[in-house]
Amino acid sequence: MASFNSILTEVAAWVSGSPAFTVVAGVSWIIPALQSVHILAVAVVMGSAAMVDLRVLGVVERHRPVGESLERYLPPLFWAVLVLAITGVILIVGEPTRAPFRVIFWAKLGLVAAGVTLTGLLARRLRGADPGAAAKALAVATLLTWAAVIFAGRWIGYANPWPGAPL
Amino acid sequence: MSDTFTALALKIEETPLSLAMAESAWLFPTVESLHVIGLTLVVGSIAIVDLRLLGLASRSRAPQELFRAALPVTWGAFLVAAITGLLLFAAKPTSYLGNPFFLAKIALLALAGLNMAAFHRVLEPQLAGAPGGPAASVGVRVAAGTSLALWTAIVVCGRWIGFSI
Repeated sequence: MASFNSILTEVAAWVSGSPAFTVVAGVSWIIPALQSVHILAVAVVMGSAAMVDLRVLGVVERHRPVGESLERYLPPLFWAVLVLAITGVILIVGEPTRAPFRVIFWAKLGLVAAGVTLTGLLARRLRGADPGAAAKALAVATLLTWAAVIFAGRWIGYANPWPGAPL
Repeated sequence: MSDTFTALALKIEETPLSLAMAESAWLFPTVESLHVIGLTLVVGSIAIVDLRLLGLASRSRAPQELFRAALPVTWGAFLVAAITGLLLFAAKPTSYLGNPFFLAKIALLALAGLNMAAFHRVLEPQLAGAPGGPAASVGVRVAAGTSLALWTAIVVCGRWIGFSI
């Protein structure tokens, strides 16, 4: 952890000296505006994921082919993840010593990777097939993973930085 | 803020629930996380319906069929967002009642509710049995666009509360 911490500290120091930092950190409405866009993109992910996962579970649209739900909702889900990545990076540029020095932030990134992977696996398993027990288990796991991402994201604002983090 | 609201806020602050929300280190962020899960599902599922009514997505689907799929998600999630929202409010009612973004958010929520009620009473009957296809009356599209704009503004106000309280 010590060397990871020192690399992050150097990156944070470099970012803090950049013109991008001056803009994002210096204009008071930029960070709340980016966070608003970030949450709206989370809404797209959650709405899309819920519609796909509830269809796989047979809760909604039982009479429609599963493939239709995948075609309709997976593209916006992945575009929203891209928006989340972009706004997330800019948010970190504005506060380089905050999120990256909290364990919960890295847990969140791990959970996002898991959410994307599980969604991809689910889509592959469903190609041309009716959802079986494995697909249903994947759907539940996917939805819970996205919920966990939200939990981890919200806790970044409350968690303490790890020892040795820059002030 | 009127005296009645001030008195009400002070009463709420004396309740065990309010004290627990205000004093616990983990309760507020946990309820807040559940609030975000609820509100993102509300906004996401409403957007699915609104984009269909605007003719921008799901064009091959009959609008009412899409309502049946998305609206149970909206209402279930709204219940979660409303309950957790009340709990968050109970943590510091005086601060929230004095916060312009909180007051704006509540006003916008009321407008979104009115817009939805007007849509269901006046415009939805027009859609009954409507097949897929992009065509929707101007009224339907205005209501859907208004809904999207209001919910976006609600999310923005909600986020701004955190920076101004």
